[in-house]
Amino acid sequence: MTLESTATDPAATSAASSATTPQQPRPARYVGRPVQRVEDPRLLSGQGRYIDDVALPGMLHAAFVRSPHAHARIVGIDATEALAVEGVVAVYTGKDLDWLAPMVSAGPMREGVLAQSRSPLAVEVARHVGDPVAVVLARSPYLAEDGRDLVDVEWEPLTPVLDPFAALHPDSPLVDEALGTNNISHLEQSAGDVDTAFAEADHVTRIRFHSGRSTAAPIECRGVVAEYEDRAGGRFNVYSSTQMPHLLRMLIAPVLGVSQGQLSVKAPDVGGAFGLKCTVFPEDIVVPAVARMSGRPVKWIEDRWEDLAAGVHSKDMHCSMEIAATADGTMTAFRGHFVTDSGAYSSIPFTPLVDSQVAGVYLSSCYGVQNVAYSIDNPLTNKCQIGAVRGVGWVPGQLAREVAIDQLARSLGKDPVELRLQNMIGPEVYTTPFGQTYDGGSYAAALEKARDAVDYPAFRQRQAQARADGRYLGVGFSPFVEPTGWGTASAAAGGLPNGFFDTASVTVEPDGSVTVTTGLHSHGQGHETTLAQVTADELGVAMDSVRIVFGDTDSSVFGMGTYASRSAVLGFGSIQESAVQVRDRLVRLAAAMLEADDADIELVDGVAAVKGVPGKTVPLQQIALFGYFGGPARPEDVQRDGLTATSGYNPGETYANGCAAAVVEVDVRTGLVSIEQLAAVEDCGVVLNPIIVKGQVAGALANGIGVALLEDLAYEDNGEFVSGSLMHYLYPSTTEVPDLTLHSIETPSAVSVGGVKGVGEAGTISAPAAIVNAVMDALSPFGIVIEKTPMTPEYIRGLVRAAEAAATGPARS
Amino acid sequence: METKQGTVAVTLTVNGEKRVGVAEPRMLLSDFLRHGLGMTGTHVGCEQGVCGACTVLIDGQPGRSCLAFAVQVEGATVDTVEGMAEPGELSDVQQAFRAEHGLQCGFCTPGFLASTQALLEQNPDPTDDEIREYLSGNVCRCTGYQGIIAAVRRVATERKAASHDA
Repeated sequence: MTLESTATDPAATSAASSATTPQQPRPARYVGRPVQRVEDPRLLSGQGRYIDDVALPGMLHAAFVRSPHAHARIVGIDATEALAVEGVVAVYTGKDLDWLAPMVSAGPMREGVLAQSRSPLAVEVARHVGDPVAVVLARSPYLAEDGRDLVDVEWEPLTPVLDPFAALHPDSPLVDEALGTNNISHLEQSAGDVDTAFAEADHVTRIRFHSGRSTAAPIECRGVVAEYEDRAGGRFNVYSSTQMPHLLRMLIAPVLGVSQGQLSVKAPDVGGAFGLKCTVFPEDIVVPAVARMSGRPVKWIEDRWEDLAAGVHSKDMHCSMEIAATADGTMTAFRGHFVTDSGAYSSIPFTPLVDSQVAGVYLSSCYGVQNVAYSIDNPLTNKCQIGAVRGVGWVPGQLAREVAIDQLARSLGKDPVELRLQNMIGPEVYTTPFGQTYDGGSYAAALEKARDAVDYPAFRQRQAQARADGRYLGVGFSPFVEPTGWGTASAAAGGLPNGFFDTASVTVEPDGSVTVTTGLHSHGQGHETTLAQVTADELGVAMDSVRIVFGDTDSSVFGMGTYASRSAVLGFGSIQESAVQVRDRLVRLAAAMLEADDADIELVDGVAAVKGVPGKTVPLQQIALFGYFGGPARPEDVQRDGLTATSGYNPGETYANGCAAAVVEVDVRTGLVSIEQLAAVEDCGVVLNPIIVKGQVAGALANGIGVALLEDLAYEDNGEFVSGSLMHYLYPSTTEVPDLTLHSIETPSAVSVGGVKGVGEAGTISAPAAIVNAVMDALSPFGIVIEKTPMTPEYIRGLVRAAEAAATGPARS
Repeated sequence: METKQGTVAVTLTVNGEKRVGVAEPRMLLSDFLRHGLGMTGTHVGCEQGVCGACTVLIDGQPGRSCLAFAVQVEGATVDTVEGMAEPGELSDVQQAFRAEHGLQCGFCTPGFLASTQALLEQNPDPTDDEIREYLSGNVCRCTGYQGIIAAVRRVATERKAASHDA
């Protein structure tokens, strides 16, 4: 891995200085440093505590009976044989759970999105392979699976709806009769004068692109452990491998018929999530429900087939993209149509609009195109639901736009990098035609840096030489803008206008140690480290005195959870808002103890000193003890509030940016694509911890390689699911992910506390389009047009074969 | 863990300690370690023999504990992540994974540590290609492998330097 970073871009700094929220000066002893992770010794020594490590006394184990059909009526369920198995305790069907309220996917708070209701266990109709219809409880997981295999379900297969375009036809069978249509949302948005721009264009490029069906597939599958206690009028304790403890509590409590105060969600260590685990699943309801019915704690651990068949799928989007341009290459208009093959259920809470809508609304990305229009459709089909997975709909949107721009460049005979630079916005704060306000970025600089990273002019020479030798090399670029720090403003700007904010509580304990609680969650991002870095700097204490507490709704303040690259921004902001108040109290206490002015107190590494008076110091332990027990000598607010402060943060819009560049070789005899180099330039504003940022970027890039080349959730023409194991669903391994070239630029956010932006999804957004463009560049002598991901060897070989047949003419066919 | 078939006693040595557990013939070694012996450091990612998260050392050789039955390791020596270092300490491999950010969520990590330990036993100075080839049976979804490869390289380099000094 090549690492290099560049200091702040001066052009962007001046943009930042003109912003509404000024940069806070702060002593950065930890922020920005490559601090080793606090969580590592625990995780490295086998002391992580994941969902399958939770055991409760008397616990039963659950196994779900699931539909083998894409679409089928449930005629009857006979559990007699299952219940006869020694050790099987109970079998519950959807009818037994009729006391539950429905799960409702209400979607974003906007017009034009149909709400969908479902029961956690299908009662009358199963709508995709893997749809749960019954649950078996037994004294061990082995026995539960024995029982599951003996539950006899009588099915009446129905015609499955599998083609998303056919699903949009008025005569199509319906996936959910109650909705009266398959299309849960058709939305259109337009800015400028798109029709005129196309009418007056010298050149129009049109492409179609199908971004394939992939998923998160974290190495740890999902799991739920639940108990119901007869305490305080009845209370559920739900352990879940979730990314969003408080939102999960908020969304499952009403289905279970209890108040949020009667339900706790505890998320232990989570073994990877990537967005998948910020969905509310049927099992999140069923497991606590049957714990209550059986009177015993119940544990369910998902297996890999269930993860692949019945979790969430992602990015299955049929895109059409048009670009209007003048003869000199100025892009004047973008128009896109994005159809998400949405699966059988509108996922909760984010709905399939998390793919289609965001592909459309951010269409102009880093280009100064003023006439932009998109439309989206979200047809339900008899497949697994579409939900949030790393990169969400930005990935297909990026693919459609960047592949089209390369095609425009080929049509005009222009260099693809020059064409992009010609149309790119400047580094200053910029408002897009759809009203998103970027907080400054290094859009052109990132592309130029990526171009340099692959030694572009030299590559073109090497490419020509290789072609002469019958080898096909290609290069592709993919500059991107990533909306991050999901708060109310950014959600509204993204067309999904729900409120998002976070709180943090900061407490200096009587001995001077520091406890921070947050509703954010960490499942690999290293928040125990980065949030401690932030806290230590803001309070002026040593980092090892700070403990970050999260993952339990009973012990953490309310928060929205970790997804959408939001936690660096929201965590920093909410902690700073709270820490500033506590620090102010510590300073006044220290001033009283040292008989000095507040203004003269410096608090560094847990010691308060008086400026200019050597040796006049007091350690934090004494300040804290005085703060708690110092009687009337303390400031009144300290006597009342102690050394705790809780505050929230709801940031303005923050957008990271960067660029991926891929160099590939395509073996035209086998269709195999090899990635020779993958370079990425990342600008996520002020970096909290460079080690962690590089790790996020590298992991997301690897995920992008999977999207581009490997990962495919396939259904047969009858709706049968054929990607149910990791022998069929292929991950990038050490032999597919090359040594990555990682560069960074730091353009501080003009709006966020600390100048921070998010970083979680960048590589997954950018890499696929870079790789597709590189493959098309490599195969340009054949005139091959790539129209889908993943680009499997079979797909590429088919294109090459067709191109060769066309070239040699019908005589040889 | 209760089962419907008969159970047998399994005697083995885990991390140098003699252990006796009860297993049904069909019980996987991964479940036996985790739920029979309470050694939850070994993780299960697919039970299909692909992801490598459950990799442990069986008589010194890396093996997928989800593809072995507990009864197959009767009399064997099994080493898991819990035994890689003294309590409160980290082995050189563990330290290198930390130094190079070779882990994020930590779920695949015990399997990678076991494979790395075995690789460096067999080949103390592997090339990058050899590292990649050997570790291709373990999947990490978080890191993109950059820190993992660097960690293995770091251990090999450190061990070589230490042996030259000795």
